[in-house]
Amino acid sequence: MSGHKADAKALLDDRGYSGPLIRGENPANLIEKPLQDRITETYYWKEQCFALNEASLCDRAVDMNFIGGTYGQQKASPFLCLVFKLLQLQPEREIVLYYLHNEEGFKYLTALAAFYIRLTFEPVEIYKALEPLLSDYRKLRRRRNDGFMITHMDQFIDDLLTKDRMCGTTLWKLPKRQLLEDLELLDERVSPLADEIEAIDNENDDAREGDESREGSDYERRNGANGRSRSRSRSSEGR
Amino acid sequence: MPPKRMTANPVRPARYRPGKAVAEEPSSSEEESGVEEEQEEESEKPTIQAPPKATSFPKEATKIANNLKNVDLNERRRVAAAQEAARLEAEKAERAKQEEGFVTEESEEEEEEGSEEEESESEEEESSSEDEAPRKLLRPTFIKKDQRKPANSGPDLKAEDEKWQEEEEKRKAKADELVQEQLEKNAAARAAGKKNWDDDEDGELEQVDDTDGVDPEMEYAQWKIRELERVRRDRAAIEEAEKEREEIERRRNLSKEEREAEDRQFIEAQKAEKEGKGQMSYMQKYFHKGAFFMDEAKDQGLDRRDIMGSRIQDDVSNRDLLPEYMQIRDMARLGKKGRTKYKDMKSEDTGRFGDYGDRARRGGSGGRDERFMSDRERERFAPTGANASEVKERRREEDTPERSRFGREGESRREYSRGGRDTYVPGHRDSRYDESESRYSRRDRRSRSYSRSQSPRRDRYGSERDRRKRSVSPANESYSHEKRRRVDTR
Repeated sequence: MSGHKADAKALLDDRGYSGPLIRGENPANLIEKPLQDRITETYYWKEQCFALNEASLCDRAVDMNFIGGTYGQQKASPFLCLVFKLLQLQPEREIVLYYLHNEEGFKYLTALAAFYIRLTFEPVEIYKALEPLLSDYRKLRRRRNDGFMITHMDQFIDDLLTKDRMCGTTLWKLPKRQLLEDLELLDERVSPLADEIEAIDNENDDAREGDESREGSDYERRNGANGRSRSRSRSSEGR
Repeated sequence: MPPKRMTANPVRPARYRPGKAVAEEPSSSEEESGVEEEQEEESEKPTIQAPPKATSFPKEATKIANNLKNVDLNERRRVAAAQEAARLEAEKAERAKQEEGFVTEESEEEEEEGSEEEESESEEEESSSEDEAPRKLLRPTFIKKDQRKPANSGPDLKAEDEKWQEEEEKRKAKADELVQEQLEKNAAARAAGKKNWDDDEDGELEQVDDTDGVDPEMEYAQWKIRELERVRRDRAAIEEAEKEREEIERRRNLSKEEREAEDRQFIEAQKAEKEGKGQMSYMQKYFHKGAFFMDEAKDQGLDRRDIMGSRIQDDVSNRDLLPEYMQIRDMARLGKKGRTKYKDMKSEDTGRFGDYGDRARRGGSGGRDERFMSDRERERFAPTGANASEVKERRREEDTPERSRFGREGESRREYSRGGRDTYVPGHRDSRYDESESRYSRRDRRSRSYSRSQSPRRDRYGSERDRRKRSVSPANESYSHEKRRRVDTR
């Protein structure tokens, strides 16, 4: 924070950025270059995002009304401007997690923090931080070129975890969850609806008990699989 | 007095220029009011009587307008004056009632005022009585400084001024109100959260409502659906991965032949599929399926469609029936500039590739005309021309290398080394180099004769040599001898 200036000149300096790096790169490059230009050209950035720190950023985030990438004639949304400001500030982990789980109920601040986490954290931490939010179904206003639409927080998080491009920029490539599970870095995801799913599966199984089930083996595997690690490693297969 | 204008042209009305006061020469003179009236009367009469001339700017129109204006003003003024007078009288009466014992300058002044008014009134009346037509201006009479009153600006004008002031004030008030409203609006908007940089979407934002808790049950149900969908998607992914792994294992466990058998089957299936696809009809337009919307196409079930050979509704079934100009792939380009006449490769091809069915006979020359014979034909009747005759008798020893094969090496060598003959035989050189190798190679080469020419096998090389007029050096010792001799004798 010692070199932190009020404006983002140091961040945007192509010749030599000497601040803290993320994955060995200038954090500004986590957002595509054309989009960076759009962000720095908006009035919102010029007026409101000057000399922000983590606390005043919360004030701005409270005033946010929608999430989105660019709309209209290539105009960057305030959401993106604040994301970019966060990339410049690079707040500490605890602060970001506080944003994520803020008790005041500012969902757009949560969304902002989620986006930042998706860009900057390590894969395992991303999954660990964002997956609890998959049970949060608050509404979010999302703005696109043709207007507004309603999306939900869990949908937003799901898109963050699975899609390549969100909010007008390409997200850093995230390894698939399965890969991490295979590497034993992550546990399997237990859905909050796990019990209900099991119940449904049991019903399905009962219904099909009479016929010869083509996927019988799969069903059995699935049935007992919730909460138990499935045999997916190659060593377990017969050779 | 000379006329004002030096021309004899009729006086045309002055052009109307907005903002500029209209100069009315005949009617604006204050001195000759009487004359003016007379003139007005005169002008009025003829204007009424004479029919209006058909000009773009009728001469009399301005005059009429002016006169009308004058009339109005005067009338108004008189009415106003009368009203003012009445008012003042009333005031005076009131004041007289109120201040009964006050015989001060005021009353004197009032009296004077009154008298002056009366004077002016009488003047007006006089003037009006003098002239029946209404007047525009009062004749200015000189009043002494003591007797001048600021109120003498005229009650009518005063009234006008007041009115004007009132109107102005009203206007100002309105403007202030408007400004006030605007400011209040701005403040309210700012208070409501509309920022300065947000220049758009006022109503749209509120239309899309993002308040939670409007219908908790429904929201929960929707979330449940989404969550189940996600779980299903994850499971499907896992299953696919499993299947792939199984497949890999299975193939590993098969023996090599079985693997090959499976591969062959797969390839054959692919080929069958390819053949099963339709052929492109003649000059069908080719639509590339593109790289970007594959997912959308897949959603709609269109990723496997094949348009080769399919009939399109607008398409002509048999393009050959069309005139040549219309036989094109893409009818959208018909008639457009820059369309080349390129049809297809085969018709544009200028070569005859692969079409050599009639190469056996090449037409042959009809007669024995030398000029039209090909070289091959000519060879038949060679030698001709300068080489028609041999220069020297030559023994044909070229036959010997052909005939002699490996067995007859010694003989041939001996024959070669004998002098007095043209020993310039390629084989001669062989004796100097490695005999076996070169002999074999040379002879074999010559005997094998790699040329494919179908002409009757003549010893070309020999005949070439034979054709020379003079034989080449070593045999021509005599010649060189002569040369030297010539040099010596000098």
